[in-house]
Amino acid sequence: MGAAAQFAALLHKDLLRELRTRETLVSMLLFVLLALVIFHYAFDVGAGSLARLTGGMLWVTFVFAVLLGLNRTFAQEKDEHCLDGLLLCPVDRVVIFAAKTAANLVFVLLIQAAAVPVFSVFFVQRDYLGQLPAFLAVLLLADLGICALGTLLATISMSTRARDLLLPVLFLPLVVPLVIAASSATTMALAEGAGFGRLAGRLLFLAGFDLVFLVAAWGTYDYAIGE
Amino acid sequence: MSVRRLSSAPALLALAGGFLAAGLLLAFWYAPVDASAMGFSQKIFYYHAPIAETALVAFGVAFVAAVAYLRAPAARWDRLGVVSVRLGLLFSLLVMLTGMIWGKAAWGVWWAWEPRLTTFLVVCLLYAGYFVLRSLVDEEQRRATFAAVFAIVAFVDVPITFFATRFLPEGLHPAVITTGGTGMEGSMFLSFMVSMAGMTLLLAGLIRHETRLEELRERVADLKARLER
Repeated sequence: MGAAAQFAALLHKDLLRELRTRETLVSMLLFVLLALVIFHYAFDVGAGSLARLTGGMLWVTFVFAVLLGLNRTFAQEKDEHCLDGLLLCPVDRVVIFAAKTAANLVFVLLIQAAAVPVFSVFFVQRDYLGQLPAFLAVLLLADLGICALGTLLATISMSTRARDLLLPVLFLPLVVPLVIAASSATTMALAEGAGFGRLAGRLLFLAGFDLVFLVAAWGTYDYAIGE
Repeated sequence: MSVRRLSSAPALLALAGGFLAAGLLLAFWYAPVDASAMGFSQKIFYYHAPIAETALVAFGVAFVAAVAYLRAPAARWDRLGVVSVRLGLLFSLLVMLTGMIWGKAAWGVWWAWEPRLTTFLVVCLLYAGYFVLRSLVDEEQRRATFAAVFAIVAFVDVPITFFATRFLPEGLHPAVITTGGTGMEGSMFLSFMVSMAGMTLLLAGLIRHETRLEELRERVADLKARLER
């Protein structure tokens, strides 16, 4: 079995399991919708000022929603001892990382596909079709960074005593730069109508973030998964 | 004196004391009062900036130790890693403290969301997580491995965080050392470099002292365990 086939098999397994149980996706989606409703009442500032908060609200919500999913990344494997079997297979650890990251990415994208339209109706309230490609680029690049870094840290925290307590403590400070860039880019695109030209610096930064942490994870994943 | 004796913890700390005292004297009596609006409050710069750079050096040492540990696991690399992160965290807290004092004197506020100070705040939170991680893994080797992976990822994140804070609205912090030169007068630069050398020596002395202490602590724990058997 080549690396690509292994990757496809692992990803298929994770997606199939999620489609059969739907436990992660449903709770992530409900969390996102609830957070948006709470934000509306928490920031009672009127439509004009609200526009400046759109990016921040969106990314705070997504980062916390991703945490829910990340905590489930290895939950089944650990509880049912599937991980031991997986690690006994002649699979490169990096392939496991790639498959887990891809699965998390798919979950986040599915959540966003449902949440972004709702968010737009609730908070943006203006036509941003012209900025949609730039906004989608921000989403994709930020999601990739969040999922790659998150999967690496979820792998570490699953082998510690307080699994889901540790992950946010490690993950959130590391992801601060990404949240800064993504939320300011989102606000610029949705509230100010900025296109690719004005967002170039931020998009480049997000791409750089992704690249750096993909390389870092590639180099350290063997140690992170341990055993 | 031999190099070995010169690089022992007491010698390094004594040297650091000398340099830091000289730096203090130079800062107050040799370097001129800053011509900008900051005036006399600029004197804290001779402590604030060297502490900041020393904190980053400490995290750099932890990064190197982490890479060394993953390449060839040995307890001494793990010890060096813990000690460097602990000292780096301590220096980072001092950066924020001196930065806040300076901020209050120069700008009238204790805290401005300024790129460099914000970076150190995030760095403090980041490396605090390092100790939470260590405390949650019982098995020694696994603890050291995870800590090393995290130290590598965290160190990579520091410049990225600094860069990202530039996307925030402009801050008040003076950019003293830029690619265009140091922007400091000769006498100021000398005072700064003496403080800088003192602070770096202090870090080196503390690292030596603390790693030895860690080693002794482990031996005591080991002996205790053997006695109980």
